[in-house]
Amino acid sequence: MKLFTAFKLACYGLWSNRFRVLSAMMGVVIGMFAVIVLTAIAIGVKDTLMKQMGSLGAEQILVLPGRVLDTANGQKDLLSGLTNVPSTLTYDDAKAIEGVPNVKSVTPQLETITIAQYDERNVQSVLVGTSDQYSRIQHADLSEGRFFTKEEQAEEARVIVLGNNIHEALLGKHEVPVEDEGSSGEAQQTKPIWKKVLDKLLGQSASAEETSLVGKHVTINEESYEVIGVLAPNATLGSSTDNNIMLPIETALATTDMKNLTKMIVESASVQAVDEVDGAVFNAIKAQHSEIDFSVVKQDQMLGALGKVTSILQVMLFGITVTALLISGTGIMNVMVMSVRERTREIGIRKALGATTSEIMGQFFFETLLLCCIGGAVGIGLGYAFIEVWNNNIEIFALVLPMWAVKLALYTTFGIGSLFGIYPALKAARMKPSNALRFE
Amino acid sequence: MIELRDVRKYYRSGSGKAEILRGVNLRVEPGEYVAIMGKSGSGKSTMLNLLGTLDLLDSGTYELAGKSVHKMSRGRLAHLRNEEIGFVFQHFQLIPNLSVYQNVLLPLTYGRKRLRRKKALVLALLDEMGISDKKNQKPDRLSGGEKQRVAIARALVNEPGLILADEPTGSLDEETTESILNLFDRVHKNGATIIVITHDIEVAERADRILHLQNGVLV
Ligand SMILES: Nc1ncnc2c1ncn2[C@@H]1O[C@H](COP(=O)(O)OP(=O)(O)OP(=O)(O)O)[C@@H](O)[C@H]1O
Ligand SMILES: [Mg+2]
Repeated sequence: MKLFTAFKLACYGLWSNRFRVLSAMMGVVIGMFAVIVLTAIAIGVKDTLMKQMGSLGAEQILVLPGRVLDTANGQKDLLSGLTNVPSTLTYDDAKAIEGVPNVKSVTPQLETITIAQYDERNVQSVLVGTSDQYSRIQHADLSEGRFFTKEEQAEEARVIVLGNNIHEALLGKHEVPVEDEGSSGEAQQTKPIWKKVLDKLLGQSASAEETSLVGKHVTINEESYEVIGVLAPNATLGSSTDNNIMLPIETALATTDMKNLTKMIVESASVQAVDEVDGAVFNAIKAQHSEIDFSVVKQDQMLGALGKVTSILQVMLFGITVTALLISGTGIMNVMVMSVRERTREIGIRKALGATTSEIMGQFFFETLLLCCIGGAVGIGLGYAFIEVWNNNIEIFALVLPMWAVKLALYTTFGIGSLFGIYPALKAARMKPSNALRFE
Repeated sequence: MIELRDVRKYYRSGSGKAEILRGVNLRVEPGEYVAIMGKSGSGKSTMLNLLGTLDLLDSGTYELAGKSVHKMSRGRLAHLRNEEIGFVFQHFQLIPNLSVYQNVLLPLTYGRKRLRRKKALVLALLDEMGISDKKNQKPDRLSGGEKQRVAIARALVNEPGLILADEPTGSLDEETTESILNLFDRVHKNGATIIVITHDIEVAERADRILHLQNGVLV
């Protein structure tokens, strides 16, 4: 069979019925748009969740504010507990845990959003009051300088360590979240990539003479701090330190009004001791709290929760895809069956003039396939555009569109087109030419 | 050219079956011009569909240009139609969303021959039919006579040996009928075999031979 001829005929057939074709295509467009956007939402939610939970080693125990309910089978239901509750965890709790047997270290984290200021430049960052163990626990290496020490913690030293992005932004190397104090609240816009490239090419990155802030002083909340180190770019699963500024927790408690911990990471002396430490940590905090308004979570529970998220995600995506497939597929098939009916005479004429069964089949099959693929491409494009607009304007959580989802959508469209193209094509090909010509 | 022997054709109608052709015998020599007449509903179109292999015989044999048509597969019949037969119908049967040029090109599209100068061929034929100025128009913009010229051009483009016409002048006025019949004469002179179905005696008289379909047989 002459594939190319069939394809050409299909293109022509679609073009000459373009208005009906457009309405038929809407189903596929909407279906694929839904697949793309919902996938991006599902994965965005999962990523956000992972970010909240962080990455936990086998010997690590996470202490979070808020109570994570135990489900009937004894598993902690992390999904129900991950709402943002005000924290009641304090540094005293952390100190209490340090006394628990088999605890190797406790890394408390006190977080707040703040503006760091250096040389007229204001950079929004996450201020993290923590302990000297932080860089080790977060797997964050220093690219320059050093991390603060236990001694500096004890003497409430005014020292800070900068995350990589913050360091570069304060140097004016690239315009990461920079904000004028006057216009706070406005969504900050990062420069588009092409502009950054242009700036680089034209050498317009202002005051590029300075290459390091180590030893310099940065102002935060009208207090001056000495920069003693810079962390290397770090993007381990879920929790990047790039936009953070770390300082000793004692300093943070003394110089800011932060009091309640965002979380604590407790390290057990050995993996074997984790279960025992888990219980002991729980009791140690409970002793200091009037009610159980905190949660102690181990790695296996975390993995269980993530596994649950992933499986919910998979079921959801499967459901969306199947629904989109059925809706758009049957829509397309209806239109094509109608089209075949309306074009009965045309089919009769083509057969009389020597079109073979397979040529007629090819023509209508390609019409359906083409219809689906164009609609699918438009839907995927719209979905992509939606995600871009969302991510540039809405900051609740980022939508993430992985390549495999785009591929899945494309294959699905192709599948729908092929599957639902068969019936109309067969219907067209089976027509008896004598009857088709008689059709009014 | 054509040899039908004891050809029968039934249609299932309601309870029983209606026998439309009841043993038709026909022999047409190459280059002959034959007219078939008969009352409405006598089975003329049915017979033409059989001759054009658009429908299958229920019994009997059909030989066209030395080939046993009744034994052929659908695929081979399609090629046979494309290469050997040109159709002209009463209702023109042009594809409405294709232009005049594209309609005439259709048989070449489905042909197996690798013709290099398809476009020139079509344009020359449209010129010959006197409709080259309409080549980019859609059929619904044409008059009946013009439509039939397009249909004839389409029937001739593959240079078939056999032209089958079912009431080619059925919906045309006298003057236009005359010009269409003149075209048929020219085609006939060029050596084509023509079978024309009509109930108009003036049309039939242009043929070499007139046959009548009565009670399912040709006389
Ligand atoms: N596909 C079919 N199914 C059932 N009956 C049919 C079919 N095609 C034709 N017939 C019947 O066969 C008979 C002959 O039809 P046909 O179209 O061959 O007549 P005709 O001689 O061409 O008539 P007209 O001069 O009106 O065109 C009619 O009674 C018609 O109803
Ligand atoms: Mg008829």
